[in-house]
Amino acid sequence: MRFVDEFRDAELGRALAEEIHATVEPERHYKIMEVCGGHTHAIYKYGVDDLLPSNVEFVHGPGCPVCVIPMGRVDDGIALAHEPGVIFTCFGDMLRVPGSTETLLDAKAQGADVRIVYSPLDALRIAKENPDREIVFFAIGFETTAPSTALTLRRAKAEGARNFSVICSHVTIVPPLRALLESPEVRLDGFIGPGHVATVIGARPFQFIPEQYGKPLAISGFEPLDVLQSVLMVLRQLVEARAEVENQYARVVPWEGNPRALEIMDEVFTLRDRFEWRGLGFISESALRLSDDYAEWDAEERFAVPDVRVADPKACQCGEVLRGVIKPWECKVFGTACTPERPIGTCMVSSEGACAAYYNYGRFAREREVL
Amino acid sequence: MTDCVAAHGCITCGDQAIPMRVAIVDSERGLALCSDAEGRRSSVETALVEPVQPGELLLVHAGTALARAPGPQPAESAAVGETAP
Repeated sequence: MRFVDEFRDAELGRALAEEIHATVEPERHYKIMEVCGGHTHAIYKYGVDDLLPSNVEFVHGPGCPVCVIPMGRVDDGIALAHEPGVIFTCFGDMLRVPGSTETLLDAKAQGADVRIVYSPLDALRIAKENPDREIVFFAIGFETTAPSTALTLRRAKAEGARNFSVICSHVTIVPPLRALLESPEVRLDGFIGPGHVATVIGARPFQFIPEQYGKPLAISGFEPLDVLQSVLMVLRQLVEARAEVENQYARVVPWEGNPRALEIMDEVFTLRDRFEWRGLGFISESALRLSDDYAEWDAEERFAVPDVRVADPKACQCGEVLRGVIKPWECKVFGTACTPERPIGTCMVSSEGACAAYYNYGRFAREREVL
Repeated sequence: MTDCVAAHGCITCGDQAIPMRVAIVDSERGLALCSDAEGRRSSVETALVEPVQPGELLLVHAGTALARAPGPQPAESAAVGETAP
């Protein structure tokens, strides 16, 4: 497909890799965080890390929305799925995320009406087709996905769909990045910024990273050449002692974002005082809830939600993986007790999760390395 | 739409978006019937990128067009040998 294949060209990839090798200073070690789970997936799927010098290291960030959902929040969703008369709708990956006692898939097996949707609009359609049932949509995702939920809620309000509600677990990207930069255990040299989040919020909100923390960032597309070029942009900044926001994904990302998306999000959502992130703990003003104008469509207002904080299983080290403190294979249960088929932690559930991406692609390269 | 499988990544819950070509526009409802590279069709919210016209290429995430996708748009499609579905 045009404008996709060009960004997977092997020759151009090798040329970019050569430029990266020529750019790095051999005595330095570079730790670059790819914030977004989509980038983690691309890095392992296309073997991007195999092309890099050994002193350039990817650190996987907290940008996989499934992975950062805490166990208590999953339990909230499962409780709603068990409510009589409810059709519970969610994106596919949420089905297998472990709650404290079961998953949504287990709930479905026990008779709860849990359905996979590909967009919130599908959930609203189910609501119209089932006027005698309550349809709840489990809204997760960063600013990329939040406008979709917001538009659906505006549509539900305009159409008077009273049997539709949303359990809103949308999160925002800037607060966890700030939390990571403030963490003494995380040492990072630069960032590969999330391309599609930036399509919505723009490149501007990332300026605090170079301005306040002196770290370079390149907003990146999702094809392998995009990621390689973004790595090169970050490395050049480091070598030249510069720190700024560069936009590798300028073919899609405007500096100011999408004003219509920001406007609808502002209308439908308001910031929660705080929200719990798996591995990062509670972070102030890092998640969204429905605004008062949309309270009627808020599942947390309509139903009794347990809202209990649940500690992660002791064996699971998703938190350390999400903070970039350990690599996926350094987790005690990686690939043994915890696999994509039977995940213990969220990072093994979503294909954008660092553990699942590494399990599906990267572990083979590591086996070669170890041998 | 792409399924949530490891080989493709999860379009809806990750920070992923796919290029889809507009086939039919329903401007009254703010929707467009679009098809992906493999010809699968679905309804897409177009409020964030309106106005849209048949043949345009949109970047779609979770059923919502976030931006115009890079690629030949209708006026230039003929020149590069691409046609709208």
